Amino acid sequence: MANTETALKEALASIEGATGVALVDYTSGMALGTMGGSKSFDLTVAAAGNTDVVRAKLRTMEHLGLKGQIEDILITLNDQYHLIRLLTGRGGNGLFLYLVLDSKRANLAMARHQLKKIEEDLEV
Amino acid sequence: MTTVRMPSPPPLPLRQRAQIPSAGLSPMLDRLAGERATGVLMREGGMLYLSEGQVVYAESPATPGLDALLITRGTLDADGWREAVAQAGARQRVGRFLVDSGRIGEGALELCHLGALYDAAYFVLGPSSAPVHFRYGEAHWLGPVHPVPVAALERETVRRRELLHGIWPDPATDEAPLVRAARPAKLTVTPRQSAVLDRIDGVRTAADISRALGRPAFHTLVDVRRLAAAGVIAPSGVGGGRPSAEPAGGGTSPAPTEPTLPHADPHITLLKRLRDALEAL
Repeated sequence: MANTETALKEALASIEGATGVALVDYTSGMALGTMGGSKSFDLTVAAAGNTDVVRAKLRTMEHLGLKGQIEDILITLNDQYHLIRLLTGRGGNGLFLYLVLDSKRANLAMARHQLKKIEEDLEV
Repeated sequence: MTTVRMPSPPPLPLRQRAQIPSAGLSPMLDRLAGERATGVLMREGGMLYLSEGQVVYAESPATPGLDALLITRGTLDADGWREAVAQAGARQRVGRFLVDSGRIGEGALELCHLGALYDAAYFVLGPSSAPVHFRYGEAHWLGPVHPVPVAALERETVRRRELLHGIWPDPATDEAPLVRAARPAKLTVTPRQSAVLDRIDGVRTAADISRALGRPAFHTLVDVRRLAAAGVIAPSGVGGGRPSAEPAGGGTSPAPTEPTLPHADPHITLLKRLRDALEAL
């Protein structure tokens, strides 16, 4: 059991290569919690912007008639990975975790696995 | 060649453009934050509870409360909530009690609480000219869960206003009973929007739909403005829509928010949508 701040701190500390993490409500675009980031990388701006990514994907899936649920969305830049994980718990419906990774140091499979564990810790 | 005689169309109704006041949502709130006040701020749209200058709870008749959100989602049952209020309400520790008794995880309570707080605050801090009161010393029965600085709350409230304005600048759908458009555009909606669409019956307002779905009211406003922008729904009495179902319980027809056109001309509907879209640029 963890509160939001502890869970986000844990994500930043335990996930290799993580430089920022945010917990975001994708309807309002509000970051309910952020950890890390920098002056040149504003996590609240990233949070609000990435709600459009999630919404576009959800709409596309409706267009295609896909019934599956999105687990995560991966965006790779030449030097970063951005990982979006949609929370599925009853209380977490409508939220996603947003993780920024340094691609030189990160292990993607491991990061995905750990992000899932953070979600379980939040118990949402 | 046949000519069709058309009566001249009625003039387009004039509408006040939505104003987005940006700074100084509530000068009194700023002052209370500065003096680290504890108590409850009462505005026309609802109440904000402060503890040492930070916001600890917000409630508004326009939004479902924390209890409604938790119970409708199935995170908590109504009996569990009642017991917690009975056991810990008097000493203002309901939140702590819920976590300590294992009814809800700390993270889950915090997230739902923050969602409810920002949601209600959006309506509490809405434009109003009614007098504002502050009662010193009053604490909320939930107890501290995740206090929010006043500046952060005001910033988010302004951001939310801009978000709604950016989606669709006409606020008419925020409070009016909603109807489906007579000839809706073809649109693919997300499952969350479709839940909203399913509950539009010519009587319910966005706030009613939020309560029925157990969702924050602002979230419903976002979906409603998107659907209005797409021409799928309209406020009752405007734009030629009609109720898709008979009002349950025989309610009287709600007052239109704009002067009703003498007839629902599809050209006028189109022009209005075009005007609104241009204004949004």
